[in-house]
Amino acid sequence: MQKKLEQILMPIAIKLGNNVVLRSLRDGFLIITPLIIVTSIFLLIGNFPIPGWAEFWSNILGPDWTEWFSAVSNSVFSFTGLLACFGISYAYGKNRGLQAIHTSAIAIISFLILTPTVVTVGKKSIGAIQTMYLGPNGIFLGIFIALVSVEIYRFAIKRNWRIKMPEGVPPAVSESFDALLPSGLVVLVFFLIRIGFSLSSFETAYNFIYTLLQAPLKGAGNSLPSALLYNFIAMLLWCFGINGPTITNSVWSPIFFVLTQDNLTAFQNHVPLPHIYTQQFIDIFTTYGGGGSTLSLLIVMLTVCKSKRVKELGKLAIVPGIFGINEPIIFGLPVVLNPIIAIPFIIVPVLNTLISGLVFQLGWVPYTNGVMLPWTTPPIISGWLSTGSWTGSVLQLFELVLGILIYYPFIKMMDRQYLAEETQAAMATDIDINFDEV
Amino acid sequence: MKVIILLDQIQAGLGGKEKGDTPLGGKKLAMGAADTIDKALRKMDSEIIGTFYCGTDYYQENKTEVKRKVAKMCEKMQADVVIAGPTYDYPDFSTMACELAENIQENTAIPVVALTAIEKNEALIEQYKAPLTIVKMPKKGGTGLSDSINHALELCRLKVANEETSEFVTQYCY
Repeated sequence: MQKKLEQILMPIAIKLGNNVVLRSLRDGFLIITPLIIVTSIFLLIGNFPIPGWAEFWSNILGPDWTEWFSAVSNSVFSFTGLLACFGISYAYGKNRGLQAIHTSAIAIISFLILTPTVVTVGKKSIGAIQTMYLGPNGIFLGIFIALVSVEIYRFAIKRNWRIKMPEGVPPAVSESFDALLPSGLVVLVFFLIRIGFSLSSFETAYNFIYTLLQAPLKGAGNSLPSALLYNFIAMLLWCFGINGPTITNSVWSPIFFVLTQDNLTAFQNHVPLPHIYTQQFIDIFTTYGGGGSTLSLLIVMLTVCKSKRVKELGKLAIVPGIFGINEPIIFGLPVVLNPIIAIPFIIVPVLNTLISGLVFQLGWVPYTNGVMLPWTTPPIISGWLSTGSWTGSVLQLFELVLGILIYYPFIKMMDRQYLAEETQAAMATDIDINFDEV
Repeated sequence: MKVIILLDQIQAGLGGKEKGDTPLGGKKLAMGAADTIDKALRKMDSEIIGTFYCGTDYYQENKTEVKRKVAKMCEKMQADVVIAGPTYDYPDFSTMACELAENIQENTAIPVVALTAIEKNEALIEQYKAPLTIVKMPKKGGTGLSDSINHALELCRLKVANEETSEFVTQYCY
């Protein structure tokens, strides 16, 4: 069974993990993640989930204080499309062996070429860019532009279409001239694309990508089956020693990213949150203490297991575990290639996904607000901060306990086996190897 | 085959990076990651007779002593073969494994098989690929772990049986 699964899964995992486009998408989002976390903190302070918070500070700092904070959060959240284009074109350029700073710059320019720069207000037209085009709704467009512009750039570089500088010219100058013809080709293509769309019924590339791609993918991604599939595959791969989420994220991250940004925008504007299945839903309401929801496992190891090995590992791993670090368990218990633990390791997150999804659908817990918390934020706290409601913490607590019950029989099985080995070894001779003997 | 396995504190199930100061120790059973290997070994009528572990920081500070004691203990326990790793792409552990492996190979008659990922270890592998047989394995979270463990065990078997290994080595080792 294990062998069979491996034969089917391995080639797919290898293909997905090595695919340069998917890898660049993942890496590109990682480039802008720190910016999102930092500005999320400003957003959270401006909208802290305590009744009377805003009024309290308005009395001290004056009524405009939230604007100070939203200036910072807007700097990222109103431009996520453009930033995604920036990050992904950088990562893709780098992965393709090009000068990443040049590919990144030309991708941003391409994005701006396709962006409408006239805004009609009443009867007057003014030169301006609407953040609508550059924000969350422009993320898929940003991804496309990043990939296409880098591909065109590479096309020219591969054919050595460049202006050769004589020897002795400083590298900065010759590199700049190297980029000239490839950049020119990219600009020319996007110039034609813009004309093409302006003649079509879509009018803009933004409308085209948004209606044909982003909206349908968002619909498919924002569903319980999608979240279940995501976690099932991610956990299954971990059991074979493969970092599951890095594979699944290469497919899902653009979709989760868009869904999360939508909620964030709504949260900032104080309108109802639109989506359930955001990145936060996955991070905060499906696994606790890392992949496999191993915090539940750790609690069982610490409280009821008797063998020295399991208990000691529980003690050592509990503190990192609370903060979502589970490397000691994954490799030390181990989870990797361990068919007994594989069963709860997959079941617990999938079941959590199902329960959380239903609880959110029933409206028992408010939707996640899109604020990206540092991934080390412990459960209970993260549930409250991400939903602004104590019910989020209760849901986490419930699933944590449920996880304990599911892990219990499996880890007990291992524990009993270890205990038998340990007593046997202790009876035979001293189990410890004494290196002072040599 | 009676197999001894060398692990760092993470793979032995003794904590994370912060436990690098764990002194050299061992148990006469399969600990942590060794358990997976032990299960595979038992299908070959073989077993892990000892897991040696050492924190990577501790090793750095007490190299000479650890090297000497590990080699001596392998001899004393009459291992047929020693497995150094799997070290994934942990650079400190990979270095420790290769250095200990070389020392065992030079000072005892016991064959050694190392398992290391190329990522973050290019220079190390370049240095040790001639004196040692280092089986290719994936980095942490990479694909193909179970295959590389099987390769390592097959190489152990070949070495213990004194069979020809050169073809196997060109295919599965660095």
